[in-house]
Amino acid sequence: MGDVGPALVLDHLSAAYDREPVLHGVSGVVERGGSLALIGPNGAGKTTLIKAILGLMPVVSGRVEVLGTSASRARTRVAYVPQADALDPEFPVSVLEVVLMGRYRAVGWLRRPGRNDRTVALDALTEVGLADRADDRFGTLSGGQRQRVLLARAVAQRAELLLLDEPFNGVDATTTDSLLAVLRRLRANGVAVVMSTHDLSVAHLACDEACLLNRHQVAFGPIEVALTAELLRATYGGSALLLEGGATVVAR
Amino acid sequence: MWHLVSEPLQVGYMRRAFAEVVLLGVFGGIVGVHVLLRRLAFLTEVVQHTVFPGIAIAFVAGGSLATGALLSGTLAVVLVSIGGGRRRIDPDALMALLLATFFAVGVIVVSRRPGFQSDLTALLFGRILSVDQRELIDTLVVAVICIGALILCHKELVLRAFDPLGAEALGYPLGRMDLLLNIVVMLVVVVAVRALGTVLVVSFVVTSAAAARLVCRRVGSMMAVAALFAVVSGCVGLIVSYNGSIHHGWRLASGATVVVALTVGFVLVACGRWLADRIVRSSARERRGPHPAGEVAVTS
Repeated sequence: MGDVGPALVLDHLSAAYDREPVLHGVSGVVERGGSLALIGPNGAGKTTLIKAILGLMPVVSGRVEVLGTSASRARTRVAYVPQADALDPEFPVSVLEVVLMGRYRAVGWLRRPGRNDRTVALDALTEVGLADRADDRFGTLSGGQRQRVLLARAVAQRAELLLLDEPFNGVDATTTDSLLAVLRRLRANGVAVVMSTHDLSVAHLACDEACLLNRHQVAFGPIEVALTAELLRATYGGSALLLEGGATVVAR
Repeated sequence: MWHLVSEPLQVGYMRRAFAEVVLLGVFGGIVGVHVLLRRLAFLTEVVQHTVFPGIAIAFVAGGSLATGALLSGTLAVVLVSIGGGRRRIDPDALMALLLATFFAVGVIVVSRRPGFQSDLTALLFGRILSVDQRELIDTLVVAVICIGALILCHKELVLRAFDPLGAEALGYPLGRMDLLLNIVVMLVVVVAVRALGTVLVVSFVVTSAAAARLVCRRVGSMMAVAALFAVVSGCVGLIVSYNGSIHHGWRLASGATVVVALTVGFVLVACGRWLADRIVRSSARERRGPHPAGEVAVTS
């Protein structure tokens, strides 16, 4: 495994969607065990940046280096955690089967997951507190529980870099605590975490660094430096509201 | 009662029709589950119409209908796959356009022949009672190959249907996997087209899987139930059409009766599901009493 170098290097990255540039000039580094919050309004390019890191978005200029290699080469060592709401709750698949999907790359084509894969998947489910729901249909779980299952899938994949799309969006307090605990444990083991989020308080809890985006990079740095009222206003424009005592509220 | 089944089984052409329905039922049921999970019902509809010009040309030229169907079906799948990758082309619009155009070409070809009405009927609705041994073997071979391919790629295809972006992020070749499934769908249509015609094939693929989805919670059990459902309803349809036509003078077209039997089966399963849900819910209410004390799910 390429244990040399940082988890993620972005170097003046610009990405385009169907030849239409949607994101300019993103530069920054996430170390192993580090954590980065991608913050910005809808359409700011957060999802675009995640897709560029996954190697699913054409990079027009600049460079993205993932785990010391190219994005497409690093793919099996990177886990993507979608929003639970993005998946069909009617799909006939059990909770354990969803977590096992994280093992598919390790299992390989033409073969079925073995006992070891099941153990890994069950351990991951236990970590998010849902081992007793392993045989239930995925769609019967609450939104927050489904989000935890998807994080368990990433844990089972044993990835070195986690990319999460709005993991705390509309989840309950139990889920928020569980997700934070798992992410803390992963980071202690050297796994890097990048997440897009709207929730500034959760960003403070979960991440050490922040990248403010609004189609270009507004700021990238330690979270207490990046999440200032001034920079947030620059990111969100008129929809950022400064409250008494220095708190900032931003509209989605 | 037994003579309703045993009597048609003594007739050679009915035995072959039953065999064809069993093969197509298993094949269509399994493929149908993938079609349903990937929401490809419309693609199946399109493919079954786009094989029409191929069999029309083969019919007029005196060639093999299966080869004709294969060629024009392949052309349609290639066009759908190429067009589907373009962002500026709406895939539904493209498929609707292909469906109409291919079908029109087939009609033009067939209608140039004198007395084309009966030919057209055979091509559209099939001739399940005149299936011969060679066609049965064709169906068997194609079914075994396709089901084998689906089993080998089962977990990847299910992942791709459930979470396409996740599958792509893991580096799975989505385009090639989609092409594989499209080809399998096309092959079901091609082998079924002589028996069921270009209009009725879709029912074998879609109806059985839709019925299975009502009662199953796993992909694997869905496939078993879909196959069983298609085989049973298909055979019931054949028995009804045989006995109705021979003993009651109803003149029931066999292919069409099979399709109606599938639909009736689907409605029965749907009603059964609805009833079962009601019973479960009312008994749960009784157990809990007026104030539900169960766990409150927190939804986002």
